[in-house]
Amino acid sequence: MSPGDFSFEPFYLVVAAALVVAYVRARPAGGWRAASFATGVFLLAAPLDSPMETIAAKRLLLVHLVQNALIADIAPLLILLGLTPAMRAWITRHGGARVRARFAIVAWLAAWYGTHLAGFYDWALRTGWGLNVEHGLLVVGGFLFWWPLVSGRLPAPLALAYLGAGFVASSFLGLAFIFSSHPFYAFYEHAPRLWGFSPARDQNLGGIAMNGEQTAVFLVAIGYYVSQLLKEEEHDARA
Amino acid sequence: MFALVGPMDTWADTHLAVHMAQHVVIGDAAVAVMVLAVRGPLLVFMLPAPVLVRVAKARAFFSLLLRPRVAFSLWAANLATWHVPYLYDAALRHRGLHDVEHGCWVVAGLLVWTLLVDPGSHRRLTVGGRIALAAAMFACGQILADVLVFSFHPVYPAYPGRLDQQLAGVVMMGEQLLTLGVLAFALLRPRIRGARLVAA
Repeated sequence: MSPGDFSFEPFYLVVAAALVVAYVRARPAGGWRAASFATGVFLLAAPLDSPMETIAAKRLLLVHLVQNALIADIAPLLILLGLTPAMRAWITRHGGARVRARFAIVAWLAAWYGTHLAGFYDWALRTGWGLNVEHGLLVVGGFLFWWPLVSGRLPAPLALAYLGAGFVASSFLGLAFIFSSHPFYAFYEHAPRLWGFSPARDQNLGGIAMNGEQTAVFLVAIGYYVSQLLKEEEHDARA
Repeated sequence: MFALVGPMDTWADTHLAVHMAQHVVIGDAAVAVMVLAVRGPLLVFMLPAPVLVRVAKARAFFSLLLRPRVAFSLWAANLATWHVPYLYDAALRHRGLHDVEHGCWVVAGLLVWTLLVDPGSHRRLTVGGRIALAAAMFACGQILADVLVFSFHPVYPAYPGRLDQQLAGVVMMGEQLLTLGVLAFALLRPRIRGARLVAA
């Protein structure tokens, strides 16, 4: 299979279509929320149904890790940010209120680290359908992690502590990929190479991509909550 | 003292990670602990009266340096400047320049940590402002740490080891997480408690 060929995980096309239908039926006002939601849905479906999937599933760990970062970190956040207050209230009434931050972060980390264990990763790549499971766990983990923040239940100080803990706890995986001189995954060790990357270099670059993406996303989120904290102080000072 | 007099200083000549540890200790961790140690009334009695008189005369100058934007800009400029490969290597070759470099770390660190800890309770920054300053410092440090960790080629000719360079980045990241993280937690803790009480 050529690296430029399309591969599909049809389940995620169905999920993306269902999300779009549900969103349109709820009649959102449009604007930046709709744009955020659309971008999120695109970033959920496109990496799994494009040549990116072909390269990720057959050739390069680097592309697979970028794919994972997109569907687990960025897509769920953008989708949740795209929800209107009424949609968020509906989700809160239908189970969202039960998602506690302390459990959400543990579930997210378990998904993040668990799916990257060598045994699981190689199994998912060998079976093919296992990739659906891997990606499903990452997407659900991402939604769980971002929900306590986007739902607005965490005040700024707690949100900062939550993000700080998430940033520190999740960074070890990327660093492990960056510092390792031996490939973690047998599948990629024997996969046909692309762009001249050795298996070890491929893994190092994957770690860099993962770490860079997480640093950027978390710093932006931390910056937002710091600005909220400053606004709260300004408001209190005026009152 | 530990960082500049002893085996650490010797190892810093051959290992970038140790050199980085030396810098973060003298420019960050040590000044943070020093400023923390002179909080409250101790600050007034720490300096002899003649020195205090001279400090008072230069009050306007110190006030200018301790304006949050000025202090942060100086700190960030210092961080960026001394990590330019040409300057970094020049400091390694010339003892005098190396001493100036270390002096700059200490001064820049004292400026920002004075704002962060606020030993004299001058309230130049609110708690949110101090968190914002800590976050900005962390973001700047991350950029440098990422350059070192993500680079496959030696940035400084004097230190050719790639692993050594990556470890230097991790040292910087880890030290900042520790010092600024502890500070942020200490500042946020009362508010976190308050938020929990409100939620309960």
